Amino acid sequence: MALLEVENLHIAVSVGGVLQPVVRGISFTVDDNETLGIVGESGCGKSMTSLAIMGLLEGTPVRITDGSIRYDGTELLQLSSKQRRAIMGNRMAMIFQEPMTSLNPVYRIGDQIIESLRQHKSISKKAARARAIELLDLVRIPNPSERVDSFPHQMSGGQRQRVMIAMALSCDPKLLIADEPTTALDVTVQKEVLELMSDLQERTGTAIIIISHDLGVIAETCDKVSVMYRGKIVEAGTTENLFERLAHPYTRGLLNSIPVVDHDVEWLEAIPGRVPTLGEELSGCAFHPRCPIATGLCIAKTPGDTYIAGNHAVKCHYADQVAS
Amino acid sequence: MSVLKLMPSALAGRKLATIGFLWLVLVLLAAVFAGVIAPFDPLELDPVNRLAEPGWPHLFGTDHFGRDTFSRALYGARMTVIIGVGSVVVALLSGGLIGMLSAYFTKLGHFLMRGVDVLMAFPALLMALVLITLLERSVANTIIVIGIVYATTTARILYGMTLKLKNEVFVDAAVCSGASHRSILFRHILPNLISPLLVQASFIFAFAQLQAAALDFLGLGLPPEVPSWGNMLSEERIYLTRAPWLLLYPGLLIILSVFSMNLVGDALRDNIDPRFKDDISGV
Amino acid sequence: MLAYTAKRLLTLIPTLLAASALVFLFVHLIPGDPASILLGDTATAEEVAQLTREMGLDQPLWVQYFVWLGNVLQGDLGTSVFFKTPVLSVIAAGAETSILLACMTMVWIVLIGVPIGVLSATMHGKWVDQVTSGGAMLAASIPTFWLGLYLIFIFSVGLGWFPSSGFPSLSDDGGLANLRYLVLPSLTLAAPNAALIIRLVRASMLDVAREDHVRTARAKGLHPANVAIKHVFRNALIAVAAAFGFTFAALISEAVVTETVFSLPGIGRLVVQSILRRDYPVIQGVILVIVVLYMVINLLVDLAYARLDPRVSLK
Repeated sequence: MALLEVENLHIAVSVGGVLQPVVRGISFTVDDNETLGIVGESGCGKSMTSLAIMGLLEGTPVRITDGSIRYDGTELLQLSSKQRRAIMGNRMAMIFQEPMTSLNPVYRIGDQIIESLRQHKSISKKAARARAIELLDLVRIPNPSERVDSFPHQMSGGQRQRVMIAMALSCDPKLLIADEPTTALDVTVQKEVLELMSDLQERTGTAIIIISHDLGVIAETCDKVSVMYRGKIVEAGTTENLFERLAHPYTRGLLNSIPVVDHDVEWLEAIPGRVPTLGEELSGCAFHPRCPIATGLCIAKTPGDTYIAGNHAVKCHYADQVAS
Repeated sequence: MSVLKLMPSALAGRKLATIGFLWLVLVLLAAVFAGVIAPFDPLELDPVNRLAEPGWPHLFGTDHFGRDTFSRALYGARMTVIIGVGSVVVALLSGGLIGMLSAYFTKLGHFLMRGVDVLMAFPALLMALVLITLLERSVANTIIVIGIVYATTTARILYGMTLKLKNEVFVDAAVCSGASHRSILFRHILPNLISPLLVQASFIFAFAQLQAAALDFLGLGLPPEVPSWGNMLSEERIYLTRAPWLLLYPGLLIILSVFSMNLVGDALRDNIDPRFKDDISGV
Repeated sequence: MLAYTAKRLLTLIPTLLAASALVFLFVHLIPGDPASILLGDTATAEEVAQLTREMGLDQPLWVQYFVWLGNVLQGDLGTSVFFKTPVLSVIAAGAETSILLACMTMVWIVLIGVPIGVLSATMHGKWVDQVTSGGAMLAASIPTFWLGLYLIFIFSVGLGWFPSSGFPSLSDDGGLANLRYLVLPSLTLAAPNAALIIRLVRASMLDVAREDHVRTARAKGLHPANVAIKHVFRNALIAVAAAFGFTFAALISEAVVTETVFSLPGIGRLVVQSILRRDYPVIQGVILVIVVLYMVINLLVDLAYARLDPRVSLK
């Protein structure tokens, strides 16, 4: 049994009372000490998926319409709000895209970490503070015993994201979800933050899900990759397998939209066309309007999974051709 | 978007605001046709029939002079519109001009806005009272006083909004094409401010009603013989226990009109350029 | 913090000077000779001549202003035409009523405005929210004197629960129980202001609720009520606290109408009566006192603001 098992998850957003599907039946698993990358363009449903796992969809117009999310064997979707909150921030924690705005500006960062600690652990204020300083040290904030009393606005974006990581790790979660953790950061800071997360994983054995639109980030840090397009996982596999033989035209498109200096670009540089809008219904493979090799078959028939090597699964009628 | 199209799109799907708008239309009609609709002369005394209860022929009853309350209320609508529109015009013209010019000509602006700051050190009602002390009681003076009080806030708001627009590309383009200051201010910047101005106008209209009624009540507003809703309340207040309806009708008329104006202003505000939304505060 | 306070105090001085100049000029704007205006209609020619000399009315206007300002700073606001006593003591006599009324009103505003505003925000879009925020707008549309008159009609004349007018000092017979005289006036004065606070609390909380850090707080597994109070309301409080200050500062002058309705011996009614009596020294004095109070309270609000929002004090 894997730590997290997502099965046939369907998510829809209510627009003017009508449910528009956003995630259309995705399944994946994450094990202890494993890093899963979920990659796709904005609007593909990857962020909704992370919020659904975390349990943060309550009070939004977004609904889980079908499927199951099991954590450590427990079906999360059947838990009460109270039971979910006991897991949230405790066994399962999340860091967000916008470090500049994700911390409350009116509280000292130490107090924000302590709040998270004391929510789930019966621990004295003094001990919590000591632990907060320890955590800040762990995420390599210089001078942690002083910075613990800083306000968020006194720190840089990279530092704030470290604080977010420290806060997320405060209760030793078994699963960490990072939604575009480095998108808002400078390239050099990006690298530091990603390295920090890998290092921490080695020490603690935490499972990590990284959500990103950047295939480069995913390739560097993840053990497994799921590529999402329009609410479906179109290609999934171990990082090694997948990058050896990219078998979906969309994944190829994503990779080739990253400029590589000393390479002959053999395919498109940017994926043509646009991401279909929410309500738009597409027959067959949803990628067909933008796909350079689409045929009549792609418009007529929704592709199932084709297995390339081991568990490397691809939803494309021509996966074998693309892969070779 | 033209001003005429603004109203329907703001009111779409807002039942309460639409009812408010219709009520204001009704008040406007009453104001225009008061002379035709009113069954009695609003100033005609009839001591025999004083403090008559609502009924026929005196729909709203009569006051302590025996004057027909319904007819006075209709003429009061006229005062409401005159005071409201007048204060809005004074406030928007003086305050608006100061705000726009201050934002556009920075040096002049520094000087003018400091002056506005000083005036804003006077609470609204106190400022009205100070000004009224210097002037005679008349319709025009009431309008001027209330208009000046809200000119300060209007100046502040327009100052902020013009500053935002001044840095827009289209203004730069106008400058580059050699447009005159006047043309930039009034042909390029002002049209973008029309809908926020309309929102501000509706809130001033609402506040002006309450201020005018308060001044009337204190005996410092319109001359006592002018039939305004505020004066009706002020004159009849000692008959509250004997003839409670005398205060009920004018009071409800004021409340309904102010509430309607606030509702319409609120609806309009939700429809304007989001950049300006936080600049204008109504209720 | 100290530097910030000093800076704000410094910026206050020119505004204060300009405002006081306006108040000074006020008497000179009234048509007629200032000395006879300040002494009233009953003054003799000798008295007018004497005051003209004392005030230095033959001097240039700016000299007169500084003479006047010097007197004011020494606590000399002139003599009331009507009471024939120093203006300062006339104002002081109304201070107890006005301050107690303002404080009691503030208590209502907080007690009514905050919980209903929070309720409205947390029930956003539901019928409770629509009723409360619509009701608040309606309440803000009611003329205060009208509300006051009907409160008297119902609770004094009808039910006999509260006295309808006047206010004996707390040091008179009855002591603290005399506060019952202020219940209806303070409720009257509180109504439109509480309505504004409801709308403001609601709007600010809805703004804050959309911010990213609230999602972070929820992701910690905090109880929704805890998120609403500790994170959403606490941050919304920055804007709301400022409004509390401005409201309190404006109450003294807004009380003009309420004090008149309930015949309270406060500063507000003093303004109106002095205007009707053409007692210009008192008008001038009261305006000065209210404006200075208004500005000082606004300064305190700014300083409190800096304490509530850690981002301010650094700038």
